[in-house]
Amino acid sequence: MHPSTYAHWSLSTARDLTLDAARDAGSARKTSARILPSGQLKKLLDSRAERDVLEGLRRVVTMSYRQPPSQTLPFFTAVIKNIASPSLPVKKLVYIYLLQHAEHEPDTALLSINTIQKSLTDQNPQLRALALRVMSGIRVPVISQIVSLGIKRGVGDMSPYVRRAAALAIPKCYSLDPNTEPQLLEYLSTLLGDKQYFVTGAAVAAFLEFCPDRLDLIHPHYRSLIRKLVDMDEWGQLATLQLMMVYARKCFPRRTRKVKKAVPASTENKKSARTTKGFYDSDSESEKSEDQEMEEIVTLDPDLELLLKACQPLLQSRNSAVIIAVARTYLYLGTPTYLSTAIGPLIALLRSAQDLQHIALYNIVQVCLSHPEPFVKYYTHFLVRSTDAPHIWRLKLELLTLIFPYAPLRLQSLILAELSHFSHSGSLDPGLVKEAVRAIGRCSQSSATSPKTSARCLRLLLAHIGSADAHLVAESLEVIRHLIQRDPDNHRTTVVRLAKHLDAATSPQARASIIWLVGEFAGVDPENNIAADVLRILAKGFAGEAEPAKLQIMLLAAKVYVHHLNANPPPEPAKPIEPQAPSALLEGFQDEGGFRDPHLESESTPQIPEKQPQEQPHPIAALYQYILLLTRYDTSYDLRDRARVYKALLASPSSTQLASLLLLAPKPVPQTPSPSETRKGYVLGSASLVVGDEGGVGGLRGYESLPPWVKEGQEPDPGLRDEDAASSEYQAGGSGGRILTASEKLDVAASNSRAPELGSSIGGSPVKSLNGIGPAGAGGNRKEKTLDDWLAEEEDEEDEEGSSEEETDDEEYESEEESTEEESDESDGAGEGGRLMK
Amino acid sequence: MSAIEALYIFDEQNDPLLEHIYTGRPPPGSTVLPLYLAHPSPRPSLIYFPNTNPPTLLYSIVQDNLLFLSPSSTDTEPLQVLEFLHRVADVLEDFLGSPLLASRIESSYDTVAQLLSEMVDGGVIACTEPNALRDVVEAPSFMKNLLGGVGLPSSAPSLTPSATPFSLSSRPSPRLSPTPTNTTSPVPWRRANVRHTSNELYVDIVETLHVTIAPSGRPLSAISNGTIAFTAKVSGVPDLLLQLGCPGGIANTISLPVFHPSVRLNRWKERPGELSFVPPDGRFVLAGYEVDLLGPAALDSFSTSTKSNAGPKLNIPATAAILTSLGPTGADFEVRLSLNPRFSGKSASPLPSATGPSFPRSGGLGRGIGGSGFAAQGTTAAPVIEEMIVHIPLPASVKNIMDLRISRGPGDIAYAPGDRGIEWKINSREIGALMSTDRGGGTGATATLRGTVVGIDEDENLDGGPVSLSNNPYDYDDDQSLSSYQAPSEISAKKDEGADARKMKHNKVLMPSCATVSFSVKGWLASGVRVEGLNVDQKKSKGLGAGVTPYKGVKYLCVSRKGVESRC
Repeated sequence: MHPSTYAHWSLSTARDLTLDAARDAGSARKTSARILPSGQLKKLLDSRAERDVLEGLRRVVTMSYRQPPSQTLPFFTAVIKNIASPSLPVKKLVYIYLLQHAEHEPDTALLSINTIQKSLTDQNPQLRALALRVMSGIRVPVISQIVSLGIKRGVGDMSPYVRRAAALAIPKCYSLDPNTEPQLLEYLSTLLGDKQYFVTGAAVAAFLEFCPDRLDLIHPHYRSLIRKLVDMDEWGQLATLQLMMVYARKCFPRRTRKVKKAVPASTENKKSARTTKGFYDSDSESEKSEDQEMEEIVTLDPDLELLLKACQPLLQSRNSAVIIAVARTYLYLGTPTYLSTAIGPLIALLRSAQDLQHIALYNIVQVCLSHPEPFVKYYTHFLVRSTDAPHIWRLKLELLTLIFPYAPLRLQSLILAELSHFSHSGSLDPGLVKEAVRAIGRCSQSSATSPKTSARCLRLLLAHIGSADAHLVAESLEVIRHLIQRDPDNHRTTVVRLAKHLDAATSPQARASIIWLVGEFAGVDPENNIAADVLRILAKGFAGEAEPAKLQIMLLAAKVYVHHLNANPPPEPAKPIEPQAPSALLEGFQDEGGFRDPHLESESTPQIPEKQPQEQPHPIAALYQYILLLTRYDTSYDLRDRARVYKALLASPSSTQLASLLLLAPKPVPQTPSPSETRKGYVLGSASLVVGDEGGVGGLRGYESLPPWVKEGQEPDPGLRDEDAASSEYQAGGSGGRILTASEKLDVAASNSRAPELGSSIGGSPVKSLNGIGPAGAGGNRKEKTLDDWLAEEEDEEDEEGSSEEETDDEEYESEEESTEEESDESDGAGEGGRLMK
Repeated sequence: MSAIEALYIFDEQNDPLLEHIYTGRPPPGSTVLPLYLAHPSPRPSLIYFPNTNPPTLLYSIVQDNLLFLSPSSTDTEPLQVLEFLHRVADVLEDFLGSPLLASRIESSYDTVAQLLSEMVDGGVIACTEPNALRDVVEAPSFMKNLLGGVGLPSSAPSLTPSATPFSLSSRPSPRLSPTPTNTTSPVPWRRANVRHTSNELYVDIVETLHVTIAPSGRPLSAISNGTIAFTAKVSGVPDLLLQLGCPGGIANTISLPVFHPSVRLNRWKERPGELSFVPPDGRFVLAGYEVDLLGPAALDSFSTSTKSNAGPKLNIPATAAILTSLGPTGADFEVRLSLNPRFSGKSASPLPSATGPSFPRSGGLGRGIGGSGFAAQGTTAAPVIEEMIVHIPLPASVKNIMDLRISRGPGDIAYAPGDRGIEWKINSREIGALMSTDRGGGTGATATLRGTVVGIDEDENLDGGPVSLSNNPYDYDDDQSLSSYQAPSEISAKKDEGADARKMKHNKVLMPSCATVSFSVKGWLASGVRVEGLNVDQKKSKGLGAGVTPYKGVKYLCVSRKGVESRC
């Protein structure tokens, strides 16, 4: 049901709800008080009248929902007795009770098995299915063989309803007793070929649960499954799409064909084609570096194309999960042309209820990270509304910045206006202001942004500096700082302008940020640098500054002084001073206890007159000394300590190497990737994508990343998917009276597929065959293999494959890791603060 | 990869109502609920608890004040689980009657238990189609409850079709016989052997408005999300054809549709606007769609020109404009609500339905209602605005609103000091009165609300440090395109130099940044979509007696739930 409807329904009944709820509260829901004493209840259950029994069962089921099982367990025998009742409603309730309680009383539960087994042959298909479901649901391992037999019967049942119950019972039976696997595999492969889409959907779900690696079972049914896809129910569609995702990756090698790049019109297409492949395809690196003139076109296997085409109608599904699943199929298996058809339906998910909207947005962001262009025209959906919850607008802002580089000029200005609106109106949420400012920063940083737009972003940010909102100012400066650091050469004048804003900026953090930036640029263009001037002005108001600003003024003074010293080295190379530096440092420590430091007057002042005997000290030096003096008597420990460090560092004007190393070290350029970049590696539609790195490094438990494309020449023989062959094979199996075991089938399949590959495969090299159909490793052990052999072999190969996969993954994700590193730098607020304070 | 491990339902007091465990050993509801509640609101629908053992993903939805939770220990598709939870809520509502109440669940646990065990089998979602479930689970009926003695708080079966989609008369007699006929119907979403004494078909089209208006008065986005709800109470297996129409052509209007699985997609593709389907029995959502009221050219008109009149016009019933930083210290604000004269509700107005085009505001780019748009609708010739509420969210730093009053027009204000928003309610009668003041003027009615903000830290911050004013002549105020977007009031505020300027700057942070309008209009749709025909294909239908023509009804409703947002 499309979620936009829920709201509507609740609307039409809003009045009912309030009225009924009021009545509800009034009556205080007395049902819990109406629980009968257990003796009476037992009597009801033991009664001969069906109505009484039904009533008793109802009460027991009610109890079981409200109370721990210890309360309802005493009725176990009394309830189970009724299992033989001819009445369907009674039976149903007994079954429900049995499913909930059998585990606590396995022995007594066994008594009921016989009756349930009888129900398997009942005339009513509904009852047969129910019996099958209950039997497999009772978690008593002893009965696994009986369950297996029951499934066998169910597989051959006339009613699809029963066959579906049989399909769903398979994983349950397997978890009861793994030894039943061979029989179950056989049942499952029959069910996968069932004519009823109703059944196959359930069979696929069971397959995924029970043996997701046995893709060999799928081959003969591949085409029929694809054909039934449209008719299955939504949950069957979901399961099938999930299966096909893995199947296609492992069975259809990615083939590309080189075509002369035809017209510039197709460049866009090409670009996006590249990005898709870059996402997961390990080969893309080498391909990218190849000739630019050639365009690569993915040639789809006809069977794969069948799948992609069959997905098309599902895009109109009312189930949001199905739409995401189709988008996932197109993103990872299809071509950009297919993907573009899924963009609209993805956007349509945004009109659903907020809970679904949130998850859908994560997925949209994920697609948008790799294919931003098609999203541009849906920009109106990404505008933040005042009713959006924080987790919604965060993602919407990200989407706006993601489409920004690809938007036409007018839209760019609209997006910027939108962002600046939210950065201005500090009213709603400080977090929103922060994110909006950051988003402006990201917009201006993207490579596609024209310098003019970038300048506009900067102007927007600069306009915030005078604001009364401390959050806004601090965040704007942070972003401005990033912008300037990324491109220092073009921003010299910006720093000058920023310095002018010092008059307006009130927040200590903002002032500190500006002062730091001025200090960073103190060495640039020494002829007309403002740093010294800024220092002069700040020195006047030093006493009135807050501590963070004082720290930065101190730092600025030190930097300006170092630059001054570097530019005008003291006339004498001053050999004797060299050893004095450490001693000065020591003295500084000794002086710690003393309130008055004689060092300043007694030692360093004499030194300067030594060199410039009758002159006044240079104004910069004087300023520096003045600031040092001021900080010495500041109330802040931190400030005093820092002052001492700088003093010791710069004690000797002639040896500034260490000081410049410390103070003038080039700072790394900060990177601000889109917040979701860290999640880029997760598969679309998974919960790990939503949870992000919080869920652990490899995603959440049970998360499976996408398998790589099978290499050309290692895929299973496409002939296996021919339906005639499959059916004849089955007939052979059936008529021969001997049922092929799975391992035998594997061997047959393996020998089939070996023939065309002999030439290409290098002997002895273990070829990956997760699906069990690739050529076997060495020719020698091709006797008759048991299933266990096969499984063991698969495991080995899987391991090998896993490791190689990791390698390629490493290469692939290198760039990503970089960004995450940078991100972690970014997010490490303390580290950054430290850098700032340097 | 079992999708569903357990389902917990809690009532509005967060008391456990139901725990149903499907597979595995999920953490019990008593463990999960405190963790869920510990998460700050608004809570996302998927929360991850890394510290439980095993680490748990918790999915949650809230419907009808009931909280549905489903824990999961492995990575599952989040949307799958959430969709499932929604389906559970829908199915329960369908079986127990809407709205879904805690007491209704409590009084029919046996039905709920059967439903829940049918819907999921061993953790795999099996069947969520209400009709298919009706084939296997018997709905609790009024009669049975009398016999069973479990009291249902007397929700008398109402006679209106919308209240209880499955009225008593329409229910087939319970199949207690041990050998029922073919239980699975050939159409998976329609239950077998449907029989109704009175055959009825109802179409309800509901559109929800989402409009964002920039401070300049220009609409930034205007989207109307439509839902077609269908109620079918027809015997047998009817084959229906619903034809939708729209002044601009349905294919140009409706975008991004989604359909119930019963709808034949090919038919829609060949002839947009025609929905051919075999309906499920009862009420269901046939389709959803959206309409961009601004049209594709909206972006082009968002030019750099500063004149607000140049923008595309919208035809929506009511908008609010908000002016901030008024008064000497810039602490006042004003919200101006303007109603579209078209919705005066006077069908006997001096100008008959042909008036539409004559109104100055009815033109414009919005391809909303043309003149013929709602005149042709049989339901309401003159749509009326109902249940109007204006919300004004306030910043967290606002302590109080002084002098809050409605300076012009009717309504009640709900605000208490410390609230995060102001609510201004105008009931239908007051709207009618307001509208009638402006008869024949053609400009629509307006109402105004004024207030003065008081910040939390007003006193401390006013004696700030040595800071000069913001209106220094920097060379950075040259951002013309920006100012066209910003409220003109801001610029005018800047001009207002003097001693109050700093206070003003301070008060600016306290200003509300938007106002939203909620309302509902019956008999009118923003997109102009209407039902042009609903026919039963007699040839393809089965089981419907010859010559039986079902009663047909169509309803239109346009709502805005804080959907019309004006920024400032």
